[in-house]
Amino acid sequence: MTTDIGPPPPFDPELAAALDVLAVGLPPALTADMIEPMRSGSLLAEVSDDDLARGGAFTVTRRTVPGPAGDPDVELLVLTPAGAGPGLPGLYHVHGGGMILGDNRTGVEMLQDWATEVPSVIVSVEYRLAPEHPHPAPVEDCYAGLVWTAKNATELGIDPQRLIIAGASAGGGLAAATALLARDRGGPELAGQMLLCPMLDDRNDTPSAVQMAGRGVWDRTANDTGWTALLGADRGGPEVSPYAAPARATDLSGLPPAFIDVGSAETFRDEDVAYASRIWQAGGRAELHVWPGGFHGFDMLAPQAAVSQEARAARVRWLRRLLGS
Amino acid sequence: MRDLAARLTALDPDAGAALQVIAYFDRLIEGRAGLPAIIRGAAVLAGCPARLTDPRRRISLRVQPDGTDTTPARQPASAQAAADQAASGRAASGQAASDQAASDQAASDQAASDQAAASAAFAGSAAGEDPGWMSVEVTDGAVLRLERAGPPGPVDAMILERAAAAARAVLDRTHAPLPDSLKIVVNPDATEAVRLQAATRLGLKTTDFVRAIALPDARPHLATDRDPPPSPQLRTGVGPLGPVLALPASWAAAQIALRFTADGTEADPGPRLVHAEQLGGLALLAAVIIPNAAPVPDVSALDRVAATAPWALATLNAAAEAPSLRAAALRIHHSTMQERLSHIDHQLGWDFRTPPGRLRLQLAFALRRLHRNPTAV
Repeated sequence: MTTDIGPPPPFDPELAAALDVLAVGLPPALTADMIEPMRSGSLLAEVSDDDLARGGAFTVTRRTVPGPAGDPDVELLVLTPAGAGPGLPGLYHVHGGGMILGDNRTGVEMLQDWATEVPSVIVSVEYRLAPEHPHPAPVEDCYAGLVWTAKNATELGIDPQRLIIAGASAGGGLAAATALLARDRGGPELAGQMLLCPMLDDRNDTPSAVQMAGRGVWDRTANDTGWTALLGADRGGPEVSPYAAPARATDLSGLPPAFIDVGSAETFRDEDVAYASRIWQAGGRAELHVWPGGFHGFDMLAPQAAVSQEARAARVRWLRRLLGS
Repeated sequence: MRDLAARLTALDPDAGAALQVIAYFDRLIEGRAGLPAIIRGAAVLAGCPARLTDPRRRISLRVQPDGTDTTPARQPASAQAAADQAASGRAASGQAASDQAASDQAASDQAASDQAAASAAFAGSAAGEDPGWMSVEVTDGAVLRLERAGPPGPVDAMILERAAAAARAVLDRTHAPLPDSLKIVVNPDATEAVRLQAATRLGLKTTDFVRAIALPDARPHLATDRDPPPSPQLRTGVGPLGPVLALPASWAAAQIALRFTADGTEADPGPRLVHAEQLGGLALLAAVIIPNAAPVPDVSALDRVAATAPWALATLNAAAEAPSLRAAALRIHHSTMQERLSHIDHQLGWDFRTPPGRLRLQLAFALRRLHRNPTAV
């Protein structure tokens, strides 16, 4: 199989140029011993309440809500557009960071950009991180927060019929897994799932994973580090739950409409394309964008690039279509 | 992490930041990135808007530091002409008396627009430029600007230098040297597809209306209906306006029109600017007067007049072209005019004061110009 795999697809020139300048401090490979330095490092910039408020455009509140049965409470960060009436769409955000990094402020500014164009209430969940808290802690925290959000939608100013789950990278994987849980447990009805370059497959052996080893952002080694933190020795084995790695799900029917995007030059390309294909094969709805020459998270690292601008615009266009706004 | 400009600022400007700038544009060149990506790179790295203007290739790009394109729309031709006039700050240069006498309102409007003879005059580029901005010449007339007052620090200087080098590589690769594209677009033997390609390289759209303009430099020049009208510093033949694919015909007509122009001097009085469409049946004479053709006796008569006094031919031309002798005399005292004309009468050999005589005189001047400009450029 691997003999058929060609060289890595080239990065988009603008993205490659930006990566060269930013690559300092952002190695493609990430090993377990680098988790702590990464957590305490400056790479994931601190986001203050003032940053989140955007000069009064958003009201910032924190809610502590029940966690999974027998587990600690979960903290939800709630961002409400200033002057919002009741019944706005709700964006339930699951942050990225390879299952091992970040907090519920990480990447939330992207959702704020969407909410500026399509007024929505943002709820961002603080889930426990691996390796200290392996599967199922992270996904169960996400699910518990979603259940509370759906139940208390009206109080939050959210129309419960228009609740969308969204996440990038590990957050995309957890969002997909949370959507599977919601389906299988008869939980909250989701209006959509936005899976941005989602981390779906613990087997880490697709052609794109092999091709991109040692290149770009979040390569095969980093991916192994993340999945092993979440699953330990089970990673890649026969017993992995679809709620840990949604690519393992045998049934992708009955899911909310999906938006999936990914770069052509990243580890997750093939697992994300396959996930969209399998949703269609199961009779579901999905919109898939594969952005040429994109590395993992290209639009966050290099938002100015032409392809990043298009990727960002495509998400907002999907939201508008989905929500009919 | 997201802000490249802030990241560069944090680096040692002499070493680290400069190396990053070099790496950034090297990667763009390596990836054969287009002009927008290069200008965007300059804006993003410098943290201020950047713009590239290339009047000769009709390129104008402006990008914000967040990467969004804010290239201004092209201005209507009339507004641009006014802007050019204001910007140039120069009055119309002196015209020969005969030219002035012959000029109608349109011609004087043209003279007022001091745009160099209409070679791909370009609307919409110079708007709002600040001479204090940092800038660098990319190549023949193309300028890259960072919209921030100079003088540039070491990082800005490096951005300008590397972005200009990258842009130059793109221009060399994708924008054929202008003369080649110009020759193709007016060449009747080139296929339509090839001519349309060349037109695209020149920044023309298939829906554009455009004319060819002939100057003594023998190179084709183009002007769209949005461009300011040409102002004749040099002898200028103007072809008819039409679709891009009609440019070969416009060019042929412009070359003929050029043969009917004069230097506008005492030795060669007459209009510097001639529109092919205004020639009518006169254009047919161009085919007759070829190099070494024997001069018509009436042309020799004009030469005899020219030999009598420096002012003689210009005075006669004014008489030929002005609506009336009285109008011609507006520039020369009436009695002086009469005195001069009676001096000329003997040399000429026919009475140019009658309508047929005046036609004969005008024809003689036209033939004289054809003899002086015996070939198409």
